[in-house]
Amino acid sequence: MLQSGFAKYLRDGKGFEGTLIVAAVLYLLVFAAFPLIYTVVMSFQEVDMFTLGTLVRPFAGLQNYTDLFHRPEFAPIVWNTVIFVTLSIAFQLTIGFALALFFLQDFPGSTYVRGLFLAGWILPALVVGAVWRWIFAGDFGVLNYALQSLGLIDGQIYWLSDPAYALYSVIIANIWLGIPFNMILLSVGLAGIPGDVYEAAEMDGANVFQRFLTITLPMMGPTLGAVIALGVIFTLQQFDLVAALTQGGPANASNVAQYWSWQMSFQTYEISGGATVATMMIALVIVVAVIYVRSVQREQSF
Amino acid sequence: MKRYLLLALALLFAAIYLFPVYWMYATALKTSGSIFKYPPELWPSEPLVQVSRVFAEHDIGRYLWNSLLVASGITAITMLLGTGAAYALANARGTKANIALFLVIVLQVLPPSLMVTPLFVAFNHVGLLDYPRTAVVLATAAKTLAFYIVLCRATFTQVPRELKDAALVDGNSHLGAFFLIILPLARNGILITSVLVFLQSFGEYVYSRSFIATRELQTATVNLATYLSANSADWVGLMNYAGIYVAPILIVFILLQRQIVTGLTSGALK
Amino acid sequence: MMRKLLLGLVFSTAATSAVIAAPVTLQVWALDEPVHFTENMAKEFEAKNPDIKLDIKLVNFANILNDTIRAVSTNTAPDLLMLDNPDIASVASHDVLLDLSDRIAASKVVDAKNFYPGPINQSTWKGKIYGFPRGGNTLGLYYNADLFKAAGLDPTKPPQTWDEISAAAAKLTDAKKRQYGFGFSAVATEESTFQFLPWAQSAGGDFNAINTDGSVRALQFWQKLVDDKVATPEVLVLNQPDLGSQFVAGNIGMIVTGCWELPRFAKEVKFDWRVALMPIEKAGAPRASALGELAYAVPKTSAHPDEAFKFLEYIYSQSSRDWNEYGWLPLDQTATPKDPKWPEAYSVFAEQMKYARGRGPSPVWPKVSKAIQTAIQDTLTHKTDAKTALDTAQATIDGLIK
Repeated sequence: MLQSGFAKYLRDGKGFEGTLIVAAVLYLLVFAAFPLIYTVVMSFQEVDMFTLGTLVRPFAGLQNYTDLFHRPEFAPIVWNTVIFVTLSIAFQLTIGFALALFFLQDFPGSTYVRGLFLAGWILPALVVGAVWRWIFAGDFGVLNYALQSLGLIDGQIYWLSDPAYALYSVIIANIWLGIPFNMILLSVGLAGIPGDVYEAAEMDGANVFQRFLTITLPMMGPTLGAVIALGVIFTLQQFDLVAALTQGGPANASNVAQYWSWQMSFQTYEISGGATVATMMIALVIVVAVIYVRSVQREQSF
Repeated sequence: MKRYLLLALALLFAAIYLFPVYWMYATALKTSGSIFKYPPELWPSEPLVQVSRVFAEHDIGRYLWNSLLVASGITAITMLLGTGAAYALANARGTKANIALFLVIVLQVLPPSLMVTPLFVAFNHVGLLDYPRTAVVLATAAKTLAFYIVLCRATFTQVPRELKDAALVDGNSHLGAFFLIILPLARNGILITSVLVFLQSFGEYVYSRSFIATRELQTATVNLATYLSANSADWVGLMNYAGIYVAPILIVFILLQRQIVTGLTSGALK
Repeated sequence: MMRKLLLGLVFSTAATSAVIAAPVTLQVWALDEPVHFTENMAKEFEAKNPDIKLDIKLVNFANILNDTIRAVSTNTAPDLLMLDNPDIASVASHDVLLDLSDRIAASKVVDAKNFYPGPINQSTWKGKIYGFPRGGNTLGLYYNADLFKAAGLDPTKPPQTWDEISAAAAKLTDAKKRQYGFGFSAVATEESTFQFLPWAQSAGGDFNAINTDGSVRALQFWQKLVDDKVATPEVLVLNQPDLGSQFVAGNIGMIVTGCWELPRFAKEVKFDWRVALMPIEKAGAPRASALGELAYAVPKTSAHPDEAFKFLEYIYSQSSRDWNEYGWLPLDQTATPKDPKWPEAYSVFAEQMKYARGRGPSPVWPKVSKAIQTAIQDTLTHKTDAKTALDTAQATIDGLIK
């Protein structure tokens, strides 16, 4: 009796869908929540490098946070992170969107050529880092060669070792890495817009830009929200590229929060400092998540 | 005529974009002395195929197999847990659903390089490290799951509610409506997202490196990284390794490309 | 899992036959490529000791200390692992490594008197030996004799003071060909500390006297080489292997790097290359060089310390092969190779080894080193001047090693 009641609950409406959500969230809580809590807890503790196996450690209050704010590299690294995330997302999204729209047009082989862009997604960041390091090399790199041949620059640009360029080099490689992701997802979204909507608008005399602004953009709302939210998170997780290209250098010129946190935790063993940076990143992503959930609510209401 | 112009333009974009991949293979064919030449040789003047040397030296087949196992496991778990949740979250309204969606995003904030130590401590505690590949699968699936849910949710929102309601009126249960009506409609979105998840997990590195202590069980990325750090001077060997590593994925991708791409263009509803 | 299985195996065989020694498997973490030293030694050792097996996992240089710390904190450490020599003190100070002093004293194979003093000091913490060095390596000046001749320099008289280095480097530099006179590694890792300290030491500084006038002059000297474009600005991101590759390609006239490069250079270099002692500040200044090499260590938790030490004894007994086969100086000073390869280089490095100074030992070495790396990077990028940068480093270091 009870069993069949439960089975009915599962099969029907809220019960069925609720179970699906709970299963996934439970999984995430088990495998992802613990590391987060562990990190947040460590940011309030004094951590010695050999007490990683326990959670019982001396309480440090806000000391780790005040220490962190007083470090001379704090402000520059936060600023670098802002630039890194903003530029990466802005360019990944614009280029990705432009390509997605471009490949929406009807021409022979469009589907095949579009598929080629997934190559960036296939390569692990480790390999991407090695290849770009090679391209960026100041004295022998092919990028400088290309720019010089085109007459765009005179001398060499030391992409990786000049503090004025290092951060932007990492950003360029990161944009490259993120384009396929953006393009493919936006393509999926675009394909979901029914063609007759456009035809109707065309008959009403709307030009390309008007159609883009009044149809494409609004209908792409949910997809754009998802892509940006994930983009922020992916960019904040971009660790391998920094490690392979500049290691945050020279002189922290290309250091960003996620790499700094790792450096403190695993290079100089200021583990609580590393955890404090990570906790602040968590706070930032909470903000992004709230914005995303809000945008989802809006999408539901219209 | 305009159509061919577009094609030419598309090829140009692709060529620019794919240059780093070309450069990887071009470097792999050069001799270790010629890679430092300026101006750089755009095409290796004396191509030297070293692929078999690198392949044999490093027993790459074994590691690729491990990567394949791990990536398949991750994709399976992600699809199993993620598809339903994405569907439910696309339908659900209200605070509880918002909290769930919020958790899904927030819980994947930290990069694996920072998550790995606490996970290692916890897995060691419960004995999961005795099954290292399973440990990698479980930990990585928690990363890919959020990505999968967010993307598939967007696909499911494009399935009109009326279709589901009609299915329910026809006498299907919610379960039946999901499997018989909704899933087939959202098939393309699910397929594409799964392929993306698979490709991503194939390159998983941090967890594999930390959880898998036995060399025979290591994945190709870990082996590649060991190579990278040990022979940081051997760029040619490295590019060969990377080239070999990427090749099977490229081949699978080229074979499947038709399905993936058709899936894309036909959209969720056509 | 593996260990439990083996334990089961041990008990079952012990029950059936007490005569045959129970097979033991040692879990080993090795930093082994590209020379495969530990793996080769393990194969030979296993052939001689059929009752001991070695299960080797290769670890990256960048991760070895992290992996060790994590393993020790969670009781998952192997029976034998390797550490970079300045890290021995950091780990040993937490009382997690096995003290090898008594075993070394009692050993019939190892004679403590024969150790090169540098490596063994680096492995000692509070009077006890926690590390068993694989060997010793040190830095020297490699130069391209063909480029010397082309630039009108005498290849039989390599530059020996800083001024001579600057002068020779200027002559060897040809901006059009992207050819640089001099090269070193100032990358923001341990490698730059390793490379920089000898210059500071030759001018009277050291890691704990890093803002002395001499240290400041040393850093200014590095800065000037980059500013004058006789060293590429890429030194900020070039690690030592990459530096070596540039030398092999003939793009840099002189570089400072370790003797571990000898086997590769012998194989790949197509020009006349030679080795000289590390330059000193001016004639009569003290000689100095860095001391590198990895050391083996046995975690306290190992269930098979005797077998692990037996393997170390075997490695020690093969010391005389180190130079010719692997390119480093033997741990055992008396084990000079009979017929050394690259005899000139051998005599240079054997001489240089006498002046090789360790880093630390200090239980907080990674932080000390980071302070020095930061000063180097800040100065070479002109974020600040050498004096200010090193004053900052000194203040940090003073706070660390009261």
